[in-house]
Amino acid sequence: MNIELKKKVMVVGGGIAGLTAAWELSKMNVDVHIVEKTCFLGGHAVKLCCKATEECQQCSACSAEKMLKNVVNEPEINIHLSTEIEAINRNGNFQISLNKSPEYIDSRLCTNCGACFEKCPEQGAILQGFSKNNSPLYGILEEKISLIKDFCKDICPEGAISLDKKGSSENLDVDAVILAAGFQPFDPEIEGTYGYNKFDNVISGMDLEEALRQNGCAPRPSDGKKPEKIAFIQCVGSRDERLGNLWCSQVCCPYALRMAEVLKNQEPETKIFMFYMDIQNTGNKFPIFYEKCKSDIEFIRNIPIDIIPVENNRVKIRYLNDNDGSAIIEEFDLVVLSIGITPGEDNNKLSKIFDVALDKDGFISNDNKLSKSSTSNRGIFVAGTAGGPKNIADSMANAGQAACEVLNYLEGKEPIQ
Amino acid sequence: MTYKTDTDINEISINTDVLVIGGGLTGVKSACEIASSGYKVILAEKGTELGLKNSEDQDLRDLIKKAASDSNIDVFTGTNIVSSAGTPGDYSIWLLKKDELFEKKVGSIVVATDSSIKVLDGEYGLSLSDKILSQSQIESILASDKEKIKGKNIAILAGFAQEGNPIVTQRVLNSVLAMEKITGCTVFVYINNIKVASSGLERLCKEGRDKGAIYFKLTDTPEITETDGKIKVTFIDPVLRNRLEAEHDLIVIEEQITADPINKKLAELLRIDLDSQDFLQKENVHMFPVRTNREGIFVAGLSRRVCNLANAWVDVDNVVLEIKKFLGNGTKKIPADKAVIDAEKCTICLTCYRCCPHGAIFWEGDKAVISPIACQGCGICASECPMNAIQLGGCNDSFISDEIKAKTESAASKPNIIAFCCENSAYEAGLMAESFKMQIPEGLNIIKVPCAGKIDLDFIMSSFAQGADGVLVMTCHTGNCKSEKGNIFAGWRVAEAQSKLDVIGLEKERLAFVTLASNMGKDFCRIVNEMEERLKKLG
Repeated sequence: MNIELKKKVMVVGGGIAGLTAAWELSKMNVDVHIVEKTCFLGGHAVKLCCKATEECQQCSACSAEKMLKNVVNEPEINIHLSTEIEAINRNGNFQISLNKSPEYIDSRLCTNCGACFEKCPEQGAILQGFSKNNSPLYGILEEKISLIKDFCKDICPEGAISLDKKGSSENLDVDAVILAAGFQPFDPEIEGTYGYNKFDNVISGMDLEEALRQNGCAPRPSDGKKPEKIAFIQCVGSRDERLGNLWCSQVCCPYALRMAEVLKNQEPETKIFMFYMDIQNTGNKFPIFYEKCKSDIEFIRNIPIDIIPVENNRVKIRYLNDNDGSAIIEEFDLVVLSIGITPGEDNNKLSKIFDVALDKDGFISNDNKLSKSSTSNRGIFVAGTAGGPKNIADSMANAGQAACEVLNYLEGKEPIQ
Repeated sequence: MTYKTDTDINEISINTDVLVIGGGLTGVKSACEIASSGYKVILAEKGTELGLKNSEDQDLRDLIKKAASDSNIDVFTGTNIVSSAGTPGDYSIWLLKKDELFEKKVGSIVVATDSSIKVLDGEYGLSLSDKILSQSQIESILASDKEKIKGKNIAILAGFAQEGNPIVTQRVLNSVLAMEKITGCTVFVYINNIKVASSGLERLCKEGRDKGAIYFKLTDTPEITETDGKIKVTFIDPVLRNRLEAEHDLIVIEEQITADPINKKLAELLRIDLDSQDFLQKENVHMFPVRTNREGIFVAGLSRRVCNLANAWVDVDNVVLEIKKFLGNGTKKIPADKAVIDAEKCTICLTCYRCCPHGAIFWEGDKAVISPIACQGCGICASECPMNAIQLGGCNDSFISDEIKAKTESAASKPNIIAFCCENSAYEAGLMAESFKMQIPEGLNIIKVPCAGKIDLDFIMSSFAQGADGVLVMTCHTGNCKSEKGNIFAGWRVAEAQSKLDVIGLEKERLAFVTLASNMGKDFCRIVNEMEERLKKLG
């Protein structure tokens, strides 16, 4: 195979959509470059927990894990971590200028021993990846470097850390681009009356995912005890006209229902309430799954206005009685805010650099009513949640579509419509 | 230590033609895209023509014309599949067109069946009339006979007789908007859960409301009666919380979209698994988006779930990728000894044929043969074969026996636990526990297997015989096995082994069957430590 003839594609973003698109293209003999701005691949999807109870509930979190493993073990895929896109120039193909942060931890020397992370005196200065497939498993937060200069001098037994390195610029000529920069989880602090970050036992759905993944259980943040009574509040940041967020995030009902079932399965005595507007489906098996949920969870069609702290670190929620409209006050040990998907923080920047339109909501717009991966700029494609809310399975399928359409584009085929 | 995977490679030539079953839009689009990737396509449709009759969309009409005129697509309408044989890369399909029965040979198959629509009037205790219309009926009125509903007060009923899905919701929302454009039309929507989990639906819902549609979101089915030519709907208003009555000229009843009834027959013919709702793909994440339990057979669009056209098109692109990966240029490089049957030992008892989840085993003369292309190397057949006639190339019985021997002999620390771990799940979870420095018992010895289906009863028993204090069989969760049933077989074998332990006087608690996912490092850690604790108590 003549290497010179290989077409080159840049994938922006190393979350599940970017990984899948890169993996598929690498199988088609395309020279793929993943450009990821953080120091870890995997995006949000590899932070998520398994939601199986007695059986698999098809959340696909394990598929993200597997895809990350595929990609890091595929030498044909080029990975640029801690790298941002500065500019592009189009002259036939695309000339991309990349801005690379220094590789403070040398991936060739790092053995993932964890000494730097465990002993670090500055919390958050040394980061740990979420997946064992992150390589290296540790990274350094640029903003905190000055605080750990002395610490890092001889902490690494392999001498893999060097904070004096300088960043670099790199140019990449590519034939097509896939934008897979992902989403921004809704910041629950915006809903101030819920007291996120104010009350210890009000957490987000993402926090619960991470807790279940890392600890296998969900203790109350305030005292580490098992919560006996838990509330899930749905649609936090989604379907909210006030915020201008006129979309359903599509993932929150499925993750909330599935995690509620996991908690119930672990501790059958746990009481779980779910405050909702409309319950969205999980998949083909939904009618069966939902019946089980209805027997385990108290569903209340009412979105509470506020959360009020009471003693013992509990919180109370007020809602209206379904039968007579009277106010009911219920106390909980733990409240989970089911935060949704909002447009990626870089979407505006990407829209300008790559000359692609955004839709009304701020996601990268698909120009073709029947293709969820083409954008307003030919040669630039979109995959995953950069183009709108999607779950893991849909992001992966959408990434497959993007890969397929990139191949057609590289072969000079006109889209069949 | 890990089993070898780099065995001799055989080059096998395969047929690169593709059969597409179903001439609806998804099937037609699949055929066009696959043909344009350079493969010959046979497109079989049971009805008399391709595509949607009278599609309004010019692009879709052009697509259908293109399929009909593409020299790389052979279209057979009025044609049914009657039987299939062969293996991936070499499937034989018998087709019946009128009275003519003929055979086609293909390398790969794409199933793109339609869906079926059921009006739920009976579920509401109603029957269709000039005042009680189905969703399809109102759609056709809105498309061609708008005058008919001018000035009418119309109610739509959805989400009570079924849970519904975004497609059902989208049809309702589109009808609401279309009715609002008609002079004098007032629209009421009685609905339970509004399924807005699809691009643009929340906005569409708001648009309908802003233009005047009145929504009553109820959890209980409203009562519907017909008196004096009017439809009366009685319900508890969720805001005012009192009983309300409303009169309407017309009521529109929701429809349920279900799997194509032909799916059952095709599943049997092609030996692919159905899910709980009769769609042609098991709800197993390893199959997503378009794979089936059989290599080289793919599913797209409505054949695998209820979806809109844009989502069906996503499937089509994924099918094209899979076909390119599977058929390539017509030669496949396959390990020579993935799974091999010893013809001397084989008594043709059919056990392997029945238990293979991938339909990889067939008969040649008087012996069983495993298709190396179809085989996924799970080892279920090898462990189930009563004659012990089947061996996996890399992970064969002697390899595992040596592993057990080495790991029980070398046990430096007590209690000695042998954990058989599926490489797709528990083994990965174990690596995760190790990476994140979780505390693992010193006496834990992991033996990696390609699938829990390859954990023989003999392996479990010989581990105990050679001095293991405890044995763990760690598999994927139910419904998450790459080979669908490997974990189930493993569970049966553990149950059998437990009854044997009883007989030889060992405590049952020394053997456990657990399920895990690759991202459950902490649970892996908990399980192995609990086992260690248990064994310490047992002594």
